[in-house]
Amino acid sequence: MEFSQNRSYSTRLAVIGSGLAGFSASIFALDRGIIPYQIGNTGPLAYTTGYFDLLGYLDGAALADPWAGIARLRAEAPEHPLARIADTAIRAAFSRFCGAVTEMGLSYTVSGGKNLNALLPAGLSKPTLSVPATMISGVEALAAREPALIVDFLGLPGFSAREFAANFKAMWPTLKFARLGFPEMETGAEVYPEVMARALEVPAHREALAERIRGAVREAGEVAFVGLPAILGVHAPDRVHKDMERLVSLPIFEIPTMPPAVPGLRLRELFEQALPERGLVLAPHRKVERLELRGDSAILHFTDNFGEVTVKAEAVILATGRFLSGGLAAERDGIRETLLDLPVEQPETRADWYREDYFDPRGHAINRAGLLVDDAFRVLGRDGRPVSPRLFAAGAVLARQDWVRQRCGAGIALATAFRAVEEAAALLQERVG
Amino acid sequence: MPPSDPHSAISRPPRRTRTLETEVLVIGGGVTGTGIMRDLALRGISSILVDKRDLNAGASGGNHGLLHSGGRYAANDTETARECMAEGDILKRIAPECIDACGGLFVAVEGDDPEFAERFAGYCSAAGIPSETLTPAEARELEPALSEKIFAAYTVPDATIDPFRITLEQVNQARDAAGSRFLPHSEVIGFALRDGTILGASCRDNRTGEMFVIRARQYVNAAGAWAMEIARLAGCDSVRLLYAKGTLVISNSRMAKRVINRLRLPGDGDILVPGGTVSMLGTTSDKVTELENLRPTVDEVDRNLAEGIAMVPALASARFIRAFSGVRPLLMAADSGIDGRKASRGFALFDHKDEGLSNFATVTGGKLTTFRLMAEKTSDLVASRLGNTAPCRTAEERLPIGDALRWTTPGFAARYWFSRKDPADAILCECEMVPRSAVDSIVAEAPGAEDEMTLRAIAVRSRVGKGSCQGSFCGIRVSSYLYDRGIYTSPAGLGHMRDFFAERYKGILPVLWGKELPQAELAETLHCGLMGLDVAVPAAAADSETGDETDSETGDGAGQ
Amino acid sequence: MSGASAAAAMPVIDFKAKADELLPDGASYDSCLACGLCSSGCPASGLEGMDPRRFIRMAVLGLNEELSNTPWIWTCTQCKRCAHVCPMNIDVSVLVGLARGLWPQEKKPSGIVRSCEAQMRSDSTSAMGVMPEDFVEIVEETLEEIRASDPRFADLQAPVDKEGAHFFINQNSREPAVEPEEMGPLWKVLDYVGADWTYSSSGWAAENFCMFTGDDNAWRAMVEKRVDAINRLGCKVWINTECGHSFYTLWKGVERFGLTANFEPASLVTYYAKWIREGKLPVNSDWNTRGLKFTLQDPCQLIRKSIGDPAADDLRFVVRTLVGEDNFIDMQPNRNANYCCGGGGGFLQAGMNEQRRAYGKRKYDQIIATDASYVMTPCHNCHSQMEDLGHHYGGSYHVVHFWTLICLSLGLLADTERKYLGPELQDI
Repeated sequence: MEFSQNRSYSTRLAVIGSGLAGFSASIFALDRGIIPYQIGNTGPLAYTTGYFDLLGYLDGAALADPWAGIARLRAEAPEHPLARIADTAIRAAFSRFCGAVTEMGLSYTVSGGKNLNALLPAGLSKPTLSVPATMISGVEALAAREPALIVDFLGLPGFSAREFAANFKAMWPTLKFARLGFPEMETGAEVYPEVMARALEVPAHREALAERIRGAVREAGEVAFVGLPAILGVHAPDRVHKDMERLVSLPIFEIPTMPPAVPGLRLRELFEQALPERGLVLAPHRKVERLELRGDSAILHFTDNFGEVTVKAEAVILATGRFLSGGLAAERDGIRETLLDLPVEQPETRADWYREDYFDPRGHAINRAGLLVDDAFRVLGRDGRPVSPRLFAAGAVLARQDWVRQRCGAGIALATAFRAVEEAAALLQERVG
Repeated sequence: MPPSDPHSAISRPPRRTRTLETEVLVIGGGVTGTGIMRDLALRGISSILVDKRDLNAGASGGNHGLLHSGGRYAANDTETARECMAEGDILKRIAPECIDACGGLFVAVEGDDPEFAERFAGYCSAAGIPSETLTPAEARELEPALSEKIFAAYTVPDATIDPFRITLEQVNQARDAAGSRFLPHSEVIGFALRDGTILGASCRDNRTGEMFVIRARQYVNAAGAWAMEIARLAGCDSVRLLYAKGTLVISNSRMAKRVINRLRLPGDGDILVPGGTVSMLGTTSDKVTELENLRPTVDEVDRNLAEGIAMVPALASARFIRAFSGVRPLLMAADSGIDGRKASRGFALFDHKDEGLSNFATVTGGKLTTFRLMAEKTSDLVASRLGNTAPCRTAEERLPIGDALRWTTPGFAARYWFSRKDPADAILCECEMVPRSAVDSIVAEAPGAEDEMTLRAIAVRSRVGKGSCQGSFCGIRVSSYLYDRGIYTSPAGLGHMRDFFAERYKGILPVLWGKELPQAELAETLHCGLMGLDVAVPAAAADSETGDETDSETGDGAGQ
Repeated sequence: MSGASAAAAMPVIDFKAKADELLPDGASYDSCLACGLCSSGCPASGLEGMDPRRFIRMAVLGLNEELSNTPWIWTCTQCKRCAHVCPMNIDVSVLVGLARGLWPQEKKPSGIVRSCEAQMRSDSTSAMGVMPEDFVEIVEETLEEIRASDPRFADLQAPVDKEGAHFFINQNSREPAVEPEEMGPLWKVLDYVGADWTYSSSGWAAENFCMFTGDDNAWRAMVEKRVDAINRLGCKVWINTECGHSFYTLWKGVERFGLTANFEPASLVTYYAKWIREGKLPVNSDWNTRGLKFTLQDPCQLIRKSIGDPAADDLRFVVRTLVGEDNFIDMQPNRNANYCCGGGGGFLQAGMNEQRRAYGKRKYDQIIATDASYVMTPCHNCHSQMEDLGHHYGGSYHVVHFWTLICLSLGLLADTERKYLGPELQDI
């Protein structure tokens, strides 16, 4: 049985990975007129809060000014990926990426000079650089300690408005809380944020929910804001958000929730839909199984429903992520890179991977393991020289950073992808020239 | 920490100190202590049981949950082997719900001593243990996971026990029969002594730091590995223990139907025991001198695996979700060596008469399988000292099956939820399918509920946090629910959540590789990035948990 | 529940062991992170107290008896969306198929079983029991009527068993059995582009309910019969017409059972797009003067489970060309991430109407969110389910086949072929 579908492709730039680093690399490449071929597994993008952090913490202390933090990194940890990138490039990466996402229909705040203090579901907050438009009112309400009504839902485990209010109480005493049944989903059986979010894309459901929220607001007394778990639509949150604010007659903000949550789904579905419309060739939910480096090209192999597909590329950006994404694998005797068995900078033995205290503010050594790159973000081999002039790496797979503890996940993804694309473009340019 | 001169610990209780009165104070909330509490209650004697942590926080929770057929001891200790058989039969009668009579195999693998293997059948018959000789092929048919390299195999009537459930049931029966009480997180820090009599025990609530006194007629030290320290508080040096730390690893799913024992002298990783829905491989044995802050190590896990893989090769690629350690108190005879494996597995009951005390007893040593017998002998002594002549009834009286007592059994919650078909009873822990109603019943009436039900206390009394995600999701969901219920009302709840994750982590750390590592990476992303717990003020310290409650990764075994 | 009944105990298997055997190592149930993305995006979540995550967890916990007995497996349409959204790529549908196969025939939903039995009864492989000779007769009669009713089609052909034809065309039984006039638009399209095609009297039917019973042998028997028929006629390309699972059942069956297929399997959607691009089908949206809005349902079986985005792109290209760029509103989510409507996997035939409509409520909401008055889909099960949802929940949208709109745009559509069009399109 033969299929007529093409089984081999060629591209100038292949992007491997479908997290923030992979998708932003494709966006930056498209900006430069390069049409990439992007292949990536489903990946953990769906787990994100939706906040784009640049740098929120250093040594366990919150940063109001991420740029000052990066300056400190340059002095104290010059090998940190962010320390190796000029502020101008980081700024360009952020503003271009947030701008592109906004243009595609999911508005984000313009990234500025200072961190925003954004809400977390258990009644804490975190410093971040850019937040979805549906969440910005929460930053404002917290900053001004405005009286707000936090609403949670019957059947939604893991998000408690009462918990949110109890833990914020000392600094934000004007918080009130209420529990509502979501229209048509109020048997008490589990309701998922995704299901509520998709339901709210239907105007009639927005009206029904808004009426209940109005009732809760009346009962709560003086309220200037309404806070909801992130359920305001998956596909068109801006529209759902605006409409709900109109119907409730109060500013509304979303609060990120634990998985399975909506903010990450929004990004994933947006990228998968909008980027191919802009020219990207995307093989979503596919995992590159083999990568061959040849003299003048790289060959990627992956499998779709009908069998093997090969892509020949002039340059490759590895944005394959860490253990959860499958870019790195941890075996009892060591950590390896999964595609090319590239050298991974790592602690000497498994006993050195983790610290004794889970929450040790210094973070775990394993989180700083990863690939080493040169200043052009080309992956370094065992001899300390680039493995290939055409193999670049970006994102969390890079060594010498701890994106979770330092709250710099988006920062590293975007800035390193920006630089890798810049260098890949220069390489491609040379080849044309 | 014990004061340097125990006799002067509290010569006179400070004024306004709360004082509790009871007939017997039992120290140590393991299977033995709770067994004594039950035994006394069935004789009509009321007691208070204290533990510096919570139920089964020591060796009672830090073991395989194996109800030995005695096969293990058949070769060199016929008496212990017989005792195991007899006690196993009693437990199967009085608490069948706690026991999985899964049976066991002893198998010898290429490289093991063939002569030892050959003699095994004879040892078993001498000890009265029913055993059948199998060909390697027959054994592999029963247990397909067995290595092709086995050359000898025997069946034995091994079983497994849920030590948490039986502990909860014992406490509950004592509460119902005699109004006995259990006080968790209450540490005895000294005794008031006069003329060969203990007048009172000075205690500290390790959560609040509050000091209080318990006055009793009899004092029983069933503190397991801590028995030597407690005895010294009462000025008794006769209790001399060796501490053997044992580490086990838990797989994500059940690898074999039966207990699989290696047919050779005891060593690392030589027993694979099913724990309902999982399997546990152990045990290492290392002499330690410190009891606190013990945690399983990468090296111990690797040692268990190296040996276990020889018996069951699939262990090489299995996902492990946790490791845990227990400390076995081993009685040191005057001339005994220091090898933990060779020291006596028998138990000892000290009446401390020679040391001039008339109302103090210590029981320690022994093994899980024979805990009831230990409790009986101890209670006989205590009852006679109290002039109570009622006979022991623990071998005949059925243990109670209460709503709040059954959630520790692996797989129970899932079956219960699925058969009840009440979608409104939301599942809070998805891995083990623990529903809200389980948390409700624990909060309402599980032993210890009189006091305070934290996330961690609920976890001890259920399967919350025991599944693949090791609490990384359900810790968040259960906490939210406790806020909803008004049990948590302040950032102290966040502190409890943080402590819970930090505690689970100690057992996860040494098994972090392969399929477990992505789970841990996601957990850290959630706990730090989404919940902000790494940078939250450790509210527990500020708010309530001012005590120096030790936090060792012991007492969390048997399928936990 | 009227369809499936689990009163008696079913044979029990070890689901975890089977998952280890059937799924690739990285995607075994052991890799499950318990995050719930699968359940969050599954419309069968909550039905019968189950969801995909619970299915996996219960397998890991060894609750094999419960899993072997749960009727939930008949509400899961095996659409594979769970695997699609899972970072570890864990597929629940494979084990659902296995569990279905374990149920004794008499306990399985009788609608699915009867459909499969009907398929087994003759060479037609028709689930509606249309015999080969009946099919030939119905085709001839229908052809005669079209030829007689419109002189433009006096020479219209609908060949059967024409050896060496380039295209082998299959046909969902619904048309010959219930609404033969709906075959007309398809034949007109084929005629318009000058395709060299044939039906077959044997193995012509598209649907395969045997696959949904979980009985691999029956699935195989149906595919074998069809593959033999195509091989025998020596056709180069087998074109699956507007039926979603038909494409999956054939190509997957060939692969799964190691059959020899001397032809290329293709979807009619691919050819619609190709013919439009090549100018052979000069369709446009001029007819849509009122700016009627259209949306599109991607059949899971055709897109996610088979051809993927190339077919999804083709579908959109065809719809946009047909109805006008501005009149197309994509359903959300779509393409590979699309939700199953609840008509697949035999659900429509399982007699579990309450569960099926609860499942379909999410699809209904997605349709309503587009505000479109027409839903297009190249799948009969999607078609019937979305129509039923519209009636049940009070939606006013229409569900149409592609061939209807293509002929409408080309001015070839007869009055009798407008059954699925609203009143505003009866006269255009």
